[in-house]
Amino acid sequence: MEEPKHIFIGKKTIRKDGIPKVTGTLKFSSDIYVPGMLVGRVFKSPYAFADVKRIDTSEAERMGAVVITPDDVPDKIFNPRLVSIFEVTYKDYRVLTKHPRYLGDAIAAVAAPTEEAAQRALEAIKVEFERVYEPILDPFEAMSPSAPLIHKRILKGDEWIDVKNNVGCTLEYSEGDVDKALKEADVVLERRFRTNRRYHMQLEPKTSVCIPHSDGSITIYSTTQTIHNTRILISQIFDIPMSKINVVKVPIGGSFGSSIQINPVVPISVALCLKARKPVKISMTREEDIYDHAAYQMHFKIRAGAKSDGTLIAGELENIMDIGAHQIQAYPLLGTALGWFVSLYKWKNIRYVGKAVYTNKVPTCAFRGYGAPQVSWAVETLIDEMAEELGIDPVEFRLKNYVGKGDIFWGQGPTVKSIIRSDGVPELLQRGKELIGWERRRPPSEKTGRYRRGIGVGRSFHTSGAGGPISGETIDYTGAILKLNEDGTIDYITALQDHGGGTLDAHVKIIAEELGVPPDLINLVWSDTQTTLYDVCTHASRGTYVGGGAAVQAARELKNKIFNYAIRVLNKAVNQDMLELGYDKELGQAVVYVRDNPQMRITLKDLATIAWQRNWGTISTTVTYRSKAAPPSFTVYFVEVEVDTYTGKVRPVKVIAGADIGTVINPDYAAGQLHGGFAQGWGMATLEDTIYDPRTGELTNKGFITDYKILTAPDMPKLDDFQVIFAHTYEPTGPHGAKGLGEAALNSVAGAVANAIYNAIGVRFYELPITPERILEALKKKGR
Amino acid sequence: MTQVNIRPSRHNLYNTHIIPVRFEYFAPSSLEEALELLNKYGSEAKVLAGGTDLLVKMKMRVVEPKYVINIKKLKELSYIRDEGGEVRIGALTKWRELERSDVIMKYFPALYDAVKAMGGTQIRNMATIGGNLCNASPAADSAPPLMVLEARLILASREGEREVPITQFFKGPGKTVMRPDELLKEIIIPKPEPGTGSAFIKVARTAMDLAKISAATAVKVEDGRIKFARIAIGSAAPTPVRAWKTEEALKGKPFTPEVIRENVKLVETEISPIDDVRSTAFYRREVSKVIVEDALILSHERVVKGWMK
Ligand SMILES: Cc1cc2nc3c(=O)[nH]c(=O)nc-3n(C[C@H](O)[C@H](O)[C@H](O)COP(=O)(O)OP(=O)(O)OC[C@H]3O[C@@H](n4cnc5c(N)ncnc54)[C@H](O)[C@@H]3O)c2cc1C
Repeated sequence: MEEPKHIFIGKKTIRKDGIPKVTGTLKFSSDIYVPGMLVGRVFKSPYAFADVKRIDTSEAERMGAVVITPDDVPDKIFNPRLVSIFEVTYKDYRVLTKHPRYLGDAIAAVAAPTEEAAQRALEAIKVEFERVYEPILDPFEAMSPSAPLIHKRILKGDEWIDVKNNVGCTLEYSEGDVDKALKEADVVLERRFRTNRRYHMQLEPKTSVCIPHSDGSITIYSTTQTIHNTRILISQIFDIPMSKINVVKVPIGGSFGSSIQINPVVPISVALCLKARKPVKISMTREEDIYDHAAYQMHFKIRAGAKSDGTLIAGELENIMDIGAHQIQAYPLLGTALGWFVSLYKWKNIRYVGKAVYTNKVPTCAFRGYGAPQVSWAVETLIDEMAEELGIDPVEFRLKNYVGKGDIFWGQGPTVKSIIRSDGVPELLQRGKELIGWERRRPPSEKTGRYRRGIGVGRSFHTSGAGGPISGETIDYTGAILKLNEDGTIDYITALQDHGGGTLDAHVKIIAEELGVPPDLINLVWSDTQTTLYDVCTHASRGTYVGGGAAVQAARELKNKIFNYAIRVLNKAVNQDMLELGYDKELGQAVVYVRDNPQMRITLKDLATIAWQRNWGTISTTVTYRSKAAPPSFTVYFVEVEVDTYTGKVRPVKVIAGADIGTVINPDYAAGQLHGGFAQGWGMATLEDTIYDPRTGELTNKGFITDYKILTAPDMPKLDDFQVIFAHTYEPTGPHGAKGLGEAALNSVAGAVANAIYNAIGVRFYELPITPERILEALKKKGR
Repeated sequence: MTQVNIRPSRHNLYNTHIIPVRFEYFAPSSLEEALELLNKYGSEAKVLAGGTDLLVKMKMRVVEPKYVINIKKLKELSYIRDEGGEVRIGALTKWRELERSDVIMKYFPALYDAVKAMGGTQIRNMATIGGNLCNASPAADSAPPLMVLEARLILASREGEREVPITQFFKGPGKTVMRPDELLKEIIIPKPEPGTGSAFIKVARTAMDLAKISAATAVKVEDGRIKFARIAIGSAAPTPVRAWKTEEALKGKPFTPEVIRENVKLVETEISPIDDVRSTAFYRREVSKVIVEDALILSHERVVKGWMK
């Protein structure tokens, strides 16, 4: 397909929230203040696994605080994430619990006029425990028949199910005959991998503000990726009609997936608000936020087989996920992890066993890539090893076996399938090779001396949303409203959240492109649930692809309505199909004109004014939109590292970050995603983890300020040594040919880094992070 | 089900939005007044300088002083004075001021390295060098350089002043020889004899972090032989330590990479590292030798090739 010429798409522009952000005037949930507001604090379980006997709130109440305990909240069991359909939603959460399953489960909460008063009231609550159990922190121990059950019964949809061996849910799948294929394979590799349990470290810790009104309705402001699901969940838990709940979209200070689910502080703030009949705000401290969520920690076993000509013929994945104390989206992830596995390479014969196992740890949730960074690291490590065993160049081996154009792609597991229509992998691998200087790559055995350099490649992809022609287990649709104002400017109204990546600016550019109205005349409305159509959630890298698709459809419908009016004023024009709407550079605004007779024209501004003055009515459109596919955005990283074999420190020397995202709508923000994706991937590969005290189940790196480290700018390669490349592709199902990027930007990093480290020192690591400590120990074992 | 006796977490007490501790607050306007207050409340009081250690500890309820004596107003304790043979630094001097001082950069490269490696600009703008020493963390970045530069500390109380060599100042994590009624007033660093080079190397998880392991060295080579080599190591024992035995072993030996490598092996015997959140005992033991060697070579190189940005 021809790539169309664009006026606004692909151009660098100042983002709409740019100036408010750099001047500090943009208000996040944590900045919300309303008169008479109380401050809420949550009493978190001091034990990882216990049963509460008695909660004494008298002292706190004497101090004037409003206090809630499990007896004050609806006896409802829920899952805070509403993206899956009912039947496959596993529920084990309560607003407050008498049976804390990790050190941090909310038992009670207080609200008082100031943070200090709330803190004192919190400290005045006395909780007596019936029993305290030894925490179960290892998923394999948790699965042993003698292990106590962390949850005895949970709900699947509306049905109770008994939990066995602490396995919260399972998924098995097979295709072909793996055993037979492995027997026929010339090379078989079997490896075990363990990923780290990273904390998201999004800039803004979780906040929720709930405001009651005299008519019994409430308004909620919170850090969320989905205002509509927030409203639905609160309605379900508290039995409040949705028409009496309004959730306002507030800018979010980053998320990385940690606010796909409705944060536990939201229902707690609502419960406090309903009891106090006053506005209540809960803002977590960073230390509390670390106890709120973490990335899924996965234990893999992979067996793979290939023929000596370099054809893969079998792939088997065992995926034991240590999900912590609660299920958020463990079940869909079991499917998605399989989807990542089968959509990376053509294994031909596939077998999969996935289990989500409860432990007494911080609950895990999606973290940028939803399991793909984990699966891709393991697979890319194994593929590298396999190429070496076969004596085939790792890039060639990948090209031979990867899932690409024309192949079936599992966007989000077995229920979200589509055919790949755009594929920049060959281009990215080829250009990346040239730019990194692949020919300089030598085997580790040739390297000596203290500082050793290595080059590695890693590839992956991410889906763009979870849509498709068939309704599967995942909900995925959105909505958009466009309104032509009386002066020809546009109001764009959507529930879709922007995590900070500039998603909504991409929509604005798309609308501008369609209508010829320049982006600065398109108003991005920060709205709420009562004035927007349903949007499921900004997750799954769907913001630009799905939201942009809705924007295209709404803009096209609006254009038609504009033509309906324009035909009335463009005197001699007879055929509406011959009208065009475009940007007039000289006028700096949109103009309606007759094709082939461009002198017959009227500015959109004049047309809008006439429509108003002559009582024709407002031109507007409302669309609800589901995308027909969920195409993969491919990424390929080439990384050169330098390992100091005396200290084990690894330094990124050079990075080529390649992405196939179809049409690049926001070039500088897209590049920014790759820079950020690399930084986060480098942290995953070499640094980050949350560690538990084996006796208490308490985090040892619990405090933000000194103990959970993420990388800083000086730890990154110099800007000159970081090159971003985009493939020249066009996605036919995407808005103006675009696909998603947010997660793909991270997914392939750890694999590339691990392979580069191997190429430098000749050691494979099967456990993340690859810290200097682990490197030094491994080198010592190997005898340097 | 096993029922056990587990220590409950204290995390409901933490609140980093505020300082969740009740205390009485003083802001003396003279040193005399401060010493008077310390004399009166000493054992139940905490001195507040930049607050970058103290406030973190109070927010996390590690310390809960009854009295907080803010000495920030004592401008007379903030200075860097070149007095010929030695340089005097007021205890309240900010790291950022050390960073901007030509005197520090010129005479004390090891300390300058530490300044550059300490925190970020925002922290250096608040934190004081006195606070770093009095906090007595084994990882305090100013300690190893000051130890190899043979600094002396002036402690003041209502009773008067006393001088303590920095090598005798630290007693354990968070513990020093200071009495509750004493204040650290000044740090005196003698200018090293000509021909001395110094350096500080820090290994940390990221560019902004406390040291996993650190080392400072000061070395003078005469006629190819080591006249003296002073070595201090951070984050490898309950306090920052001098590696006396290694220093002794190096004395008089030719300054060659081989000699250094052979002799720094002794460092391992002079430290007692542990496993913690930041690193492992194994790593610290291994890498201490490496960075001592690197620092010695860098120290000497700075004499030979010249030092200055
Ligand atoms: C984000 C961050 C990064 C950091 N990075 C580093 C780093 O890289 N390297 C490093 O070494 N440290 C680091 N620190 C720790 C801290 O900043 C330093 O130790 C700093 O020098 C402490 O100085 P201060 O003035 O803030 O001390 P304060 O917090 O005010 O005081 C610290 C302790 O010393 C006592 N005290 C202070 N001054 C005196 C005095 N004159 N007499 C007697 N007692 C006194 C106080 O009572 C208190 O017990 C970091 C801290 C943070 C928050």
